[in-house]
Amino acid sequence: MSPELVGLSLLLLSGAALLAPLLAHALGRDAGYPLAALFAAALAVLAVPATAVLDGERVVLSLQWAPGLDVRFILALDGLSLLFAILVLAIGAVVMLYSARYLSPDARHARFYTLLTLFAASMLGLVLAGDVMVLFVFWELTSVTSFLLIGGRGGGEARSAAMRAFLVTGLGGLALFAGLVLMSITAGTGDMSRILADPGVVAGSSLAPLILALVLAGAFTKSAQFPFHFWLPGAMVAPTPVSTYLHAATMVKAGVYLVARMTPLFAYGGPWRTIIVLVGLVTAIVGASLALKQYDLKALLAYSTVSQLGFLMALAGVGTSAALAAMAAHVLAHALYKATLFMVVGIIDREAGSRDIRQLTGLRKAMPLTAAATGLAALSMAGFPPFLGFVSKEEAFAAFLAAPGPGWFAPTAAAMAAASASLTFAYGARIFDGAFEGPLTQELFDPRRSFLLPAALTALTGLALGIGVGWLNPVAGVAAGVATGAPAEVDLALWHGFTPALALATAMVTLGFVLFRFRQRVDRALEPVHLPASGARLFDRVYDATLAAGRASAAPFTSGVPAAHLGWVLASLTAAGVAAWLVWSPQTPAPLTGGETGADQVVAALLVLGAAGAALARSRTGAVAVLGIVGFLVAVVYVLLGGPDLAITQLLVETLTVALVVLVFRRLPQAFRAVGRVRRSGAAAAAVMVGAVAALGTYALTGRREISEAGAYFLRAGPDEAGGRNVVNTILVDFRALDTLGEITVLAVAAVGVMALAAAVRRDDGAPDPSLMLREAARVLTPGMILLAVYFLLRGHDAPGGGFIAALIAGATLVLQYLSGGVRRVRSLLPVPPASLLGAGLLLAVGYGAAGLLAGGEFLQGAIWEVELGPASAKLAASLAFDVGVFLVVLGAFAAYLHAFGSEDG
Amino acid sequence: MTAAVIVGILAAAGTYLVLQRGLVRIALGFVLLGHAANVLLVVSGGIHRRGVPIEGAAAGPAADPLPQAFTLTAIVIGFGMTAFLLALAFRASRDLGDDDLEDES
Repeated sequence: MSPELVGLSLLLLSGAALLAPLLAHALGRDAGYPLAALFAAALAVLAVPATAVLDGERVVLSLQWAPGLDVRFILALDGLSLLFAILVLAIGAVVMLYSARYLSPDARHARFYTLLTLFAASMLGLVLAGDVMVLFVFWELTSVTSFLLIGGRGGGEARSAAMRAFLVTGLGGLALFAGLVLMSITAGTGDMSRILADPGVVAGSSLAPLILALVLAGAFTKSAQFPFHFWLPGAMVAPTPVSTYLHAATMVKAGVYLVARMTPLFAYGGPWRTIIVLVGLVTAIVGASLALKQYDLKALLAYSTVSQLGFLMALAGVGTSAALAAMAAHVLAHALYKATLFMVVGIIDREAGSRDIRQLTGLRKAMPLTAAATGLAALSMAGFPPFLGFVSKEEAFAAFLAAPGPGWFAPTAAAMAAASASLTFAYGARIFDGAFEGPLTQELFDPRRSFLLPAALTALTGLALGIGVGWLNPVAGVAAGVATGAPAEVDLALWHGFTPALALATAMVTLGFVLFRFRQRVDRALEPVHLPASGARLFDRVYDATLAAGRASAAPFTSGVPAAHLGWVLASLTAAGVAAWLVWSPQTPAPLTGGETGADQVVAALLVLGAAGAALARSRTGAVAVLGIVGFLVAVVYVLLGGPDLAITQLLVETLTVALVVLVFRRLPQAFRAVGRVRRSGAAAAAVMVGAVAALGTYALTGRREISEAGAYFLRAGPDEAGGRNVVNTILVDFRALDTLGEITVLAVAAVGVMALAAAVRRDDGAPDPSLMLREAARVLTPGMILLAVYFLLRGHDAPGGGFIAALIAGATLVLQYLSGGVRRVRSLLPVPPASLLGAGLLLAVGYGAAGLLAGGEFLQGAIWEVELGPASAKLAASLAFDVGVFLVVLGAFAAYLHAFGSEDG
Repeated sequence: MTAAVIVGILAAAGTYLVLQRGLVRIALGFVLLGHAANVLLVVSGGIHRRGVPIEGAAAGPAADPLPQAFTLTAIVIGFGMTAFLLALAFRASRDLGDDDLEDES
């Protein structure tokens, strides 16, 4: 029962995401309340498996997902997952309560609530994932929803901040993906419990440095570690609930979660622990120093978050049970006080219209309750006893002091941690001071209770959990168990006696107080301190340079002169042809002589004349006439080479092409534009080159006498297996039906493009007056031509014909109709809109394929039935249905062309 | 040999046309290039076997049916592409009064 409940929790949250738009439409901003209830329900569902987890079990739900890739959809609830799941769901519920009052009462919020709930579901999936691929998918989903939530409907600043955040975390995500793929290949499984149970297989392999570095790249970017920290302050353009939830409490902790999860790998050996701890602590100090320089409260909180993420990352990097237990406590402490502070800043921003810490004075007098919540959270952040923020920091100092590693390592880490903590104390005290002290400069009031309640809830929890920190021991214990695989004995307490950690905590408070007391001097000292290069500016420069390089490399191919970029294509094709010739000509057998007839030579000679004429024609009419002749000659070539289907298709296509060209020509000047002599000679030179390479290639590569293996197989199998004597048709509708399906899809898409292009052109000029003879001819010929089309369609499997040819005959019928009275006549013969024909044909073809699947075979697998018709019996192939689909698409495409180019009236 | 001549002249004429001004001439050039490619595909099956690949219809050895099947769809797809290029020219005639794009650049 327990495993299903884990799945149900995720399902519930995903369902909430589906429900969110409906709720938002019905309730407006109040949709936050039912959503908060759904979050709470998802948390309640986890209660049963959670009891098992607290007893040291790991609750696993494993479903088949992608058997071909050996990927199972595994959800697993263990101590670490439980800790983060509580965080995601509880803080999520609070943020939903807050959003219901923060959002404006009269706007639409469907997008906001849907995305926020979707994010929560992704985040829950991330922390529950038991397989590396499942983890990665949810990881990316959080990046995408975060991008959409930051960008929102905001202007340029929001969009570029969103893009920066997305690119940094997205590139990190790619690195993580590479790392996870290598990891599962090395381990032979994607199941994280098996990878981590025997860390030596991965961490001891020769690929280990690459794998772990890639995983860390993902973790560091996601958790905004120095030097990738810059995206996080930029992301603060998002609405406050988003900042609270994604960019303080949950998503940015995903990197910390990942490093903690992979502890056995990083602890196995090598410099990894040292690297992670140092990166984390440098981030902690840099972030805290930058936070101290901020006056905008939201920016201050953003840098503070960077700093705290560094602190957490360092704890995860130490990787001992004590460090992970401290990390667990600090994850909760940070989420509680930071969520409070963000929500309060949102309130102050709404009420006072400012987030500047220098204007935020005397708040106590005007907004006592808001000030109280701010004060509680600021004290917890500063690390003041008896708040949870104090306990977690003292435990953290103890863990740093006991960090395994070379002799210098533990004291250095502890000192750096204490330094960052005293900076944190300093800016925490500033917020507290700002809230309570100083004169009141504005007329302000506490907001409605319902707006303040969520912030008060988290603030008070931070205090309660500090005093009753012993309650956290079971959760922190099982969470720390990720290091060893068994729950750790942890003893979180407010008072451990006089320990070195307490001494560090005292030093932290003292130093922090000094920094706060002499804040003017600190400000003056910090004023000239700037990072040599701002990450954001560097990022923007690289980003712009990348785009510029892309534009520059595309410039030769994007000119307004078609010949300019077509020239590039032709030149590279020619070069590729010459290269292929140089590489392969030694192995190619010499072309066989003979096999040619007098007819071949006559046709070739005529084609030379025709092609030259087509190229050199000055008038449009002349060009079309010659083009028709060339097409006819090509059809003769196909007859000579033994392809009756090809010849028929070619003839019909040629006829229809000429009809279309004439329709378009009516709107264009009679003569072609002349081009200059230089251009003509250039084109001629290119033509000679391309022609020569094409001729040489044809001569060299087409001389063999034996039939290809595939061709021999089709000749043999066509009649027997596909039930058709016309082998070309059996290939089209049976053996290689998937190709054909792709081709008619392309045709349908191109036809839609033609309709869209022509839709804007008004057709007010009438078509030429049809002659009486044409009208009569159309009337007499149409029924016969329709019959002919049907006949060719039905017999295609056994004799020249099939869907393509039948559709072209039907198309010719439509042309006849058009000539006798414009598009109106075409519509009266074929009342179905072209787009419907295209859709129906594709549906029929795909439906035929699916029927093969349903019948227990493969996609597009056919069947043959023997039909008794009195004395005679006939074979009926199911693939006829597919050919009818082809027929409909090709006919639909041609009807679309006529509708697009033709005139309405005759 | 004749196949080489046919493919060569069609490719050359097509190339010359696509390098001219005006979308219609470019479309016509693509038609010729399409012919060249299609003929090349068919003759890649060999020119010594020319029987119709229909059971019971061929007197001599049957031609390779696979290139023929490829070519058949290629002809129809080429037709679709021609129509698309013509639609571009059609649209250009509305927007520019001509099918020549080069005045715009």
